[in-house]
Amino acid sequence: MRRRTAAVLGSAVVLAAAAACMLWPRGGIVLHLGVFAGSYWGTPNGSSYQVLDDAIAQFEADHPGVTVTYESGIPVDEYSEWLAGHLLVGEEPDVFFVLPEDFGLLAETGALAPLDSMLDSADGPERSLYYDACLQAGQYDGRQLALPYESAATVMFVNRTLLEAYDIPMPKNDWTWQDLYNICQTIADAQPDIADRDYGIYGYTWQNALYANGGMLFSADGRQCNLSDARTMAAIQFTQQLNSLNHGYTVTAQDFDTGHVAFRPFLFSEYRAYQPYPWRVKKYSSFVWDCLRMPAGPDGSNTSELHTVQVGVSARSRHAELARELLCTLCADTTTQSALFLQSQGISPLRSVTENTDLLNRIFAETQGSSTFNSAAIGEIMYTAAAVPQFAAREQATAMAETAVNNALLSSASLATALPTAQREIDLYLQNAG
Amino acid sequence: MMKQDHTLRTLRGLMLAINLALVLYYSLLRGVTMLRITYGFTARDFLTQAGLVPAPPWQMTLLSLGLFVPLAALILGKAHLPPDRPALRAALFGAEILLATLETASLDFYYRGFFLMVLADLVYTVQDRRGRAGIIAVLTGLYALADYNIAATLFPSVPLQVYLSYYTEAIRSWFSGVESLLTSLHVLLFVVFLVLLFLGQKEENTRVHQLNEQLQESYRQLQDYADKTEHMAELRERNRLAREIHDTLGHTLTGIIMTTDASLVLMDTAPQQAKQQLQLANQTAREGLNDVRRSINALRPDALEHRKFAEALEDTVEKFCLTTAAKVDYAQYCGEMDFAPDEEEAIYRVLQESLTNAVRHGKARHIQVRLDRAGEELVIMVKDDGVGMAPGQPEGFGLRHMRERLELLHGSLEYGNRPAGEGPGFILTARLRPRQKGEESI
Repeated sequence: MRRRTAAVLGSAVVLAAAAACMLWPRGGIVLHLGVFAGSYWGTPNGSSYQVLDDAIAQFEADHPGVTVTYESGIPVDEYSEWLAGHLLVGEEPDVFFVLPEDFGLLAETGALAPLDSMLDSADGPERSLYYDACLQAGQYDGRQLALPYESAATVMFVNRTLLEAYDIPMPKNDWTWQDLYNICQTIADAQPDIADRDYGIYGYTWQNALYANGGMLFSADGRQCNLSDARTMAAIQFTQQLNSLNHGYTVTAQDFDTGHVAFRPFLFSEYRAYQPYPWRVKKYSSFVWDCLRMPAGPDGSNTSELHTVQVGVSARSRHAELARELLCTLCADTTTQSALFLQSQGISPLRSVTENTDLLNRIFAETQGSSTFNSAAIGEIMYTAAAVPQFAAREQATAMAETAVNNALLSSASLATALPTAQREIDLYLQNAG
Repeated sequence: MMKQDHTLRTLRGLMLAINLALVLYYSLLRGVTMLRITYGFTARDFLTQAGLVPAPPWQMTLLSLGLFVPLAALILGKAHLPPDRPALRAALFGAEILLATLETASLDFYYRGFFLMVLADLVYTVQDRRGRAGIIAVLTGLYALADYNIAATLFPSVPLQVYLSYYTEAIRSWFSGVESLLTSLHVLLFVVFLVLLFLGQKEENTRVHQLNEQLQESYRQLQDYADKTEHMAELRERNRLAREIHDTLGHTLTGIIMTTDASLVLMDTAPQQAKQQLQLANQTAREGLNDVRRSINALRPDALEHRKFAEALEDTVEKFCLTTAAKVDYAQYCGEMDFAPDEEEAIYRVLQESLTNAVRHGKARHIQVRLDRAGEELVIMVKDDGVGMAPGQPEGFGLRHMRERLELLHGSLEYGNRPAGEGPGFILTARLRPRQKGEESI
């Protein structure tokens, strides 16, 4: 009787142990990475996961027992929603890419873990590795919540064929509003009163002008709008002057694509994407083009807006330490960043990578010969570029400002009276939203 | 009373059920809405509106239900709590309040009715007035602080309205309808519970008051009965005394008279027979004396009956001081006061009588009493500062009685005015030779 009980108990223990072995999660830790497919810059990118896969392989080799997985095939324009949905059900990846337009929201909602302790520690990456503007993009409320992965600044595309036709010399990289206005006026004055006209500039907004005039639309904490600021006013007036040269005609993208417009602001990534063969053939093939830094305003410099794709660590990650190390492999590792710089169209936020002559030569070897835009210019752009403050209410507040400016320009009311009213409204909105 | 208890417990059960329904309502509304938002691809808009990343959809459901189980167990299981362990009870009441707080927090402060439920439950359980006041103060304080607008400043959470804004106006009003129905019902039950509880208590108070009056009346009646009984006992005692005297003394004396009469007659003619008769008289007298002693034993004074002798003496002196203006110095050097009952009575009477005499006849203001042993003798000395006795005054009844008592016990009595050198006053010395244990009384 006793032996039978012992046998039953013994087999129960063995069975339970076997079941535990079967059901117990085996293997090491799995880190989830949130990433979108393709290039954020909207430029063709055939092998968008290549750099990532190499970086993951390196990370897994350095951390035996740790596996990194990601869900592939999420388009950029669905990535924000994908990430938000995963955050809401509590299944967000441990490490995820942060789009420029999402950073404010993710920071404000507390989805991102602060990285300051890592940056301050001896083992962590130095802050000085990065361009200031790139690092600033990941700062919120005095804390570093994300590290830059890839940046792109706004630059000015120039239709050199058109300038040569009007006998206008190519402007220098340190040109000003006045230079831009003069060229546009020269082109406008030379137009006959018939169809097939040429135009000075397309797509230049008062915000492009504002950054070059040393201003920002919103304060760094996103609590205040500077719409009625003197620099803003000057920027709006300047774009108004440029537009008035068109005598009421609205220039279109097609006018630029067909070679009838001299200037158009673009992201630098666009330049890198379409300058080399074979993409050059696909777009803007009817004219020779180049790019320049943005023209400086009277109170500013050749500053332009910097867009930065970042990577952050989830505030709820259960493997925070490993997640931060993976983040460093992506954002602070020169091997990963060099590969990315070569393969993608952005600019690396790591100074040592972007200013690496070997890399730059390999990149610019593919571009057309006589470009005024060289490696030195890239460094300058990165040093002077402005990281626009990101906060959750920015999208809506910017839309409000744009509507207010458009209304002011359309109506006969002077900017000096219309803008302060609009600013008060936007300030109120920002304070309520914050 | 039992019926009311039953009603109150039913109400408490209903409150518990409504709270459970509200826990399910809030946590499921939140969880389901979050999932709908996620699968409806409006998560980013929701996050913009919410301003923070909320906890995962099922966390609130699991947490709030997980906390509700022990809370309900504490509320329902209190009937089995041992009433004689105040520390355990206080700890469990504290735990109940803590659980209500955690439950409210787990629901992101959307609802705070748990405090009302716990308040009703604890006020019902705790009868102590100060304990109740404390519980009411703590719970109302917590209830006030748990207001969403106050609590959200300390514990940021996504307001319920943000979840509700996902739905159309019609569905929203449905939800609000269900919510306010449940919460209003809960508040109503809470109020009814308290009203019933306090009404019941008032009835109880009135009842206690009435009972008290009845008790007082009974006590008065009992006192009357006691007086009557005492009076009857007195009468009975007198009758007994009369009977006793008749049976013992009367009988003995009659016998003695008869035998002495006979011996008087026989004295001359038959002296031998007369002698026999006298012996018979003597024996009868002795037997009579024994009978009298037995009676006296049955009639011993109260003071000696119930207390130890030494205490009884002290007590008597103390009482004497209290009832007269005289001051008595009482000193006792006898060691153990272990005497036979008749000796005790003699000593007691000597003391009592001499004290009374000192005040009554001597007008003394200061009396010294000293009990001492000299060899096998016990010496009682009473000395006062009164007027003393006039020369040639005959011995009074009291003194004679005292002497007789002492002489029966082979003792002696001496008294007189104090020596001229000592000033005026009276001095009395009684001597007594107490029997050894086991020595036969005469």
